[in-house]
Amino acid sequence: MPGAHRRRKILVLAAGTLGLATALTAAATLVPGRDGHLARTYLPRDASVVVARVPRRAAGEVAARAALARSPERVEVAVALARLEIQRARTLADPRYLGRAQATLARWWTLRAPPPEVLLLRATIEQALHAFAAARADLDELIRVRPEDVQAHLTRAVVATVTGDYPAARTSCAAVAAHASSLASETCVAPVRAITGDAAEAYRGLARALATASDRDPAVRAWALTTLAEIAIQRGDRRDAGDQLRSVLAIDPDDVYALGLLADLLLDEDRPGEASSLLAGREPVDALLLRRAIAEHRMQGAEAEELARRMRERIAAAAERGDRVHLREQARFALEVDGDPARAADLAADNWGVQHELADARLLLACAAAAGRLRLAAPVVAWAHQHRVRDAALDRLLERLGAP
Amino acid sequence: MTRAGSGALVAVVLLTAAVRSAWAHKPSDAHLHLAIGGEVVRGRLDVAVRDLDAALALDADGDGRITWGELSSASDRIDAYVRDHLTVTDGGAPCPLALGAAALVDLSDGSYRALPFRARCTGEVRAPEVSYRLLFEIDAQHRGLVHIEGHRGRSDKTLIVRDGRPVRVDAGGDAAIADFVEEGIRHIWTGFDHLLFLTALILPAVLTPSRRSAAWPGPRASLRDAAVEVLEIVTAFTLAHSITLVISAVGFVRLPSRLVETAIALSVVAAAANNLLRWVDARWAVAFALGLLHGFGFSSVLVDLGLPSHELIGALLGFNLGVELGQAAFVAVLLPPLFAIRRTAAYRVLLRGGSAAIVVVAAIWSLQRLSS
Repeated sequence: MPGAHRRRKILVLAAGTLGLATALTAAATLVPGRDGHLARTYLPRDASVVVARVPRRAAGEVAARAALARSPERVEVAVALARLEIQRARTLADPRYLGRAQATLARWWTLRAPPPEVLLLRATIEQALHAFAAARADLDELIRVRPEDVQAHLTRAVVATVTGDYPAARTSCAAVAAHASSLASETCVAPVRAITGDAAEAYRGLARALATASDRDPAVRAWALTTLAEIAIQRGDRRDAGDQLRSVLAIDPDDVYALGLLADLLLDEDRPGEASSLLAGREPVDALLLRRAIAEHRMQGAEAEELARRMRERIAAAAERGDRVHLREQARFALEVDGDPARAADLAADNWGVQHELADARLLLACAAAAGRLRLAAPVVAWAHQHRVRDAALDRLLERLGAP
Repeated sequence: MTRAGSGALVAVVLLTAAVRSAWAHKPSDAHLHLAIGGEVVRGRLDVAVRDLDAALALDADGDGRITWGELSSASDRIDAYVRDHLTVTDGGAPCPLALGAAALVDLSDGSYRALPFRARCTGEVRAPEVSYRLLFEIDAQHRGLVHIEGHRGRSDKTLIVRDGRPVRVDAGGDAAIADFVEEGIRHIWTGFDHLLFLTALILPAVLTPSRRSAAWPGPRASLRDAAVEVLEIVTAFTLAHSITLVISAVGFVRLPSRLVETAIALSVVAAAANNLLRWVDARWAVAFALGLLHGFGFSSVLVDLGLPSHELIGALLGFNLGVELGQAAFVAVLLPPLFAIRRTAAYRVLLRGGSAAIVVVAAIWSLQRLSS
C-alpha cells in the first residue's frame, strides 16, 4: 500500500540521515589530529648509548683535509680524498659518500674539461647516481685525452652496457684487453656478448679465463665470478650460479650485489625461507630489505608486515627528496608486496627509460603481464629482437605474454 | 702484469663495482619543519647525526661510534653551526633564531638530532623566507626538505632545497575545499562501476511501479513521477555511500580493497539482474543497501592523503558534494531521453538487453577484481 511504503521510505531515509550526522560528528570529535611529518623525539637513557656509526677516519685523512682547506687548488689531494669517499660509498653501500666525494671535487665539478683524474671520478659518481648520459660524455672526453686509461675504458664499457650501447661497450673492452689482464677484459666483454645472443660462448670464455688467470687478486676474482654467475642465470643454470655466488660471498661476505643476486635466485626457485635467512640483519641496505620483504611476504612470515612498513618508509623518504634512482626497486615492491601491478608497470616503464639491463627487461615484462598492459612490453620485445637477447627468465615471460 | 698494473686494476674494479652496488639508503637529507604564527616562525630542524659528524668531527675517541655523550658535549658547536647556516627573514628583515633543547629522532635511515627553534620577527609575519645552507659544502647531494605547516585553511607543503638561496615559505594553496569538490566530481565521472550501478537502477524509472503479480509494467504518465523516483534512488544512494565514506575515510572501519572492489562489482551485477528478474521492486532500498558498499570504494582517495583531522572533515564534505554533483549531472542527462523513448520497442530492448549487458560486464569485473 502506498501509505505504508511511503512511511517505510521516510523511515529509512531519516535513519540514513541520522546515521550520517552521527558518523560526521564522531569523526570530527574522535579522530586524533595527525601531526603530519613531525616524528616523535626522545632522549637516550645515558651518555654511553650509541647514536650513530660512522666510518673511522683513514690514516692521514684529517691532515689531507686540512691541507686541502689551506690550499684548495691542490687537485691531487682532493682526488685522493674523493677516491676514499667513493670507496666508502661502495663498502658501506651508502650513496651519502658520493655526495661527499662530489663536494670534495666542487672546485672542478662544473668545468667542462677538468683534470683527467677528476673526470674519471666525476663519471663514476654520475653513473652511480644514474646520470648515465653525463657519465658517458665525461668518459668519452677522458678517453679522447687519455686513450690508454684502462679505468676509463672499463667504466665506459659498464655504462654503455647498462644503457644498451653494445658496440661502444665492445670497443671499450677491446681497449681494456690491450692494457690489462685477460681476466679483466673477459669480464668486461662477457656481459655484452651474453646479452647479444652469445651467452654460451661468453660463459665459456669467462670460465676459462677464471680458471687460468694468473691474477689471484680476490677483488678481481669476485667481480669475475659475479659476472659469470649472472650469465649462468641468464642461461638458466641456477645451480652453477648459486655455487658461484656463494664463492663470491666466501671472498667477501658483505658483497651487497652478490647477496641480492643470490636472494633473487632463491626467490625464483621458490625458496623464500632461505632467501630471508640469507638476508637477516641486512635491512639497512635498501635493496636487501626489499628482497627480504618479498621473501617474508611470500611466506606470510612473522616479519612480513614490519619489513613492508620499513620499505615503504624508505621509498617515501626517497620520493620526498625527489630521488628517482630506485625505480627498479620501487617497481618490484609495488608488484610483489603491495600487489599494485598498475603502479608497478608505470614505475618499471619509467625505469626502462633510464637503463636496459636484463633485470630491467624482466621486470617490465613481469609488470606488464601482471597489469594486463601488454603494450608496455613492446619496447622490451623490440630490444630483445634487435640484439638477439636470449635469457631464460625473459623467454619464459615472453611466452606467457604470447609474444613472438 | 706488474704489481702497479694489478693495483690499478683493483682500483678499477672497486670503482666499477661502485656502479653495480645496491644502495643502503637514499643520499643525505635534513628536515626543517616550520609553522608560522603571528610574529614567530617556529619549528624543528632534524639533521642526521652522521652528517653532523662529517661537518664537525663529533667522534671524539675515533672509535667509529657516536654516543649520546659525545653528541651532547658538542652541543655548543652544533648550535653555532646551525646559526651560521640557517637564516629566517621576513620581508628581508632578519628574525633572530633562538634554539631550544635538542633531542633525538629516529627516521628511516638512522638517528637525527632534533633541534627546536623559534625565530621572532619584528611584527606580523607576512613574507617569510628561509636560507638553508647546512652541509652543502660537505655533501653536494645533500637536500634540505622544508616542511611548511598549513595555516589559515591552507594545506601543508614541502620544498626541496639544494642550495643556500633564500626560499619563500608560504604554505600551500588556498580554498582546499574546492579542490575536493572537483576531486569528487572526477571520481564519480571516472567510476564506471558507480555509474553503471546508477544506470541499472534508473533504467526502469520511466515505467510505472510494478507489482509482483502484474505483467511487465507500462510506461509512466508523467516525467515528474519518474523524476521523483530517480530522486529517491539517488538520495538513498547518496546517504548510504556518504555514511560508509565517512567511517572508512577516518579509519573507523578498514576493509581490504580487493574485497571492496569485488563487492562493488557484484552490487552492479545485482542491480542489473534485478531489472530482469525483478526480485525487489523498491529500487531505492536496493540503492541504499548496496550503496553502503560504494562508499568504501570512494574513501581510498581521501585515506591516501593522510590529512589532519581538522582538514579531513572539510575534505570529506567537499568530496561528497562533488560526488553528488557528478551524480546529479549524470542522472539529469540520462533521464529525459529515457522518458522520451519509454513507449518504444527500442526502450524495451535497452532495458532488457542493456541490463543483461551490465550483468555480463560487471560479472567479468567481479572475477577480475577477485583474482587480482
